[in-house]
Amino acid sequence: MKDASPWIEKANPEYLALIDEQHLVTKLYSMVNVPTAVWINEQGKIVRPNEVAFVDDRFKSYSHMDSGPYLDGIRDWVAKGERSSFVLSEEQLKKRLTPVGPDRLMADVEFSLAEYLYHAGHGTEAIPHFKQAQRLAPDNWNYKRQAWLLSDADRDYGTNFTQEVQKLNGKPYYAPRQMPEPANKPN
Amino acid sequence: MGTLFRCVGLIFLCSMANETTSQVRTVVIYDNAATELRTPSPFTQSKDLWVTLAELKRSAGFVVKPQGVCRSELCFPLPKQRKADFLEQQGQDTWFNLSEFARLVKQPVAHDEKLATWCFGPRPEAQNGYLATLEAPNFTLPDRNGKLHSLSDFRGKKVLLITWASW
Repeated sequence: MKDASPWIEKANPEYLALIDEQHLVTKLYSMVNVPTAVWINEQGKIVRPNEVAFVDDRFKSYSHMDSGPYLDGIRDWVAKGERSSFVLSEEQLKKRLTPVGPDRLMADVEFSLAEYLYHAGHGTEAIPHFKQAQRLAPDNWNYKRQAWLLSDADRDYGTNFTQEVQKLNGKPYYAPRQMPEPANKPN
Repeated sequence: MGTLFRCVGLIFLCSMANETTSQVRTVVIYDNAATELRTPSPFTQSKDLWVTLAELKRSAGFVVKPQGVCRSELCFPLPKQRKADFLEQQGQDTWFNLSEFARLVKQPVAHDEKLATWCFGPRPEAQNGYLATLEAPNFTLPDRNGKLHSLSDFRGKKVLLITWASW
């Protein structure tokens, strides 16, 4: 709370900003990095699942994506609702939303244990559990970045953010978005 | 855009904890809430987590009933031929094997032996249940003033749920 509050205060957003100390949303929605967004309609149903969601292009060197098309999509959805071409059908959603397997579930619980131990004053004992979470969910950057930040990444994990991004060797750091073709873009 | 729908942003936070020294007592983390057990286990040689029925209810919200191990409307029957794997009488107390129960219901469990801490995750069908309905999983989190907000509070509005972090 004390770490997040100054950021929120400075940004002074018009929208509601909540603080997720336990990564609950990461686990519930099986997210793997930030910024990630989900679109939820008036009935509480998902209409677009997890996607990288930058609001500007300051991190384009990592995302290799323009933020513009995604922002256009949000505006189109707001204006047209369910008629927006950016709203996915149930069939499309079920293709994109796949069940979480046992490794990811185990990674989530190891990560939860590690965070509890860290906050209980057992930072050293937390590290093996953070490592286990990272091993079980190797695509989860949230679990890497959070663990590295809570200690000395080079000393305790033998790596760091820059090295791990370099290891991708051309593989995208963020999963590419699947947006409608230009012909379907909003007028 | 801001007038037509509400955005819910979430910041992943890492707050520094003070190093403390304390006597090691068994801790159970269930549904993201930690409970320190009060009754020392007599099962000192067991690799499993045995808890009294009172501690079972206090830490995990489950109650042992004739029809099974229950919480609200949800009941998991215990296999008749394996009841001894789950329940054992020791003196005045009936003890329940919570880690064996987790295996029965395919619930992931992480354990730190040195710090006697057990963490239980959701069953696969609970985690993946929303895929059938596409209903966005609900959650309740505080804003920076500590006021709690639930996703379900925003029914009737479009919600852009966006997460970021300060790392």
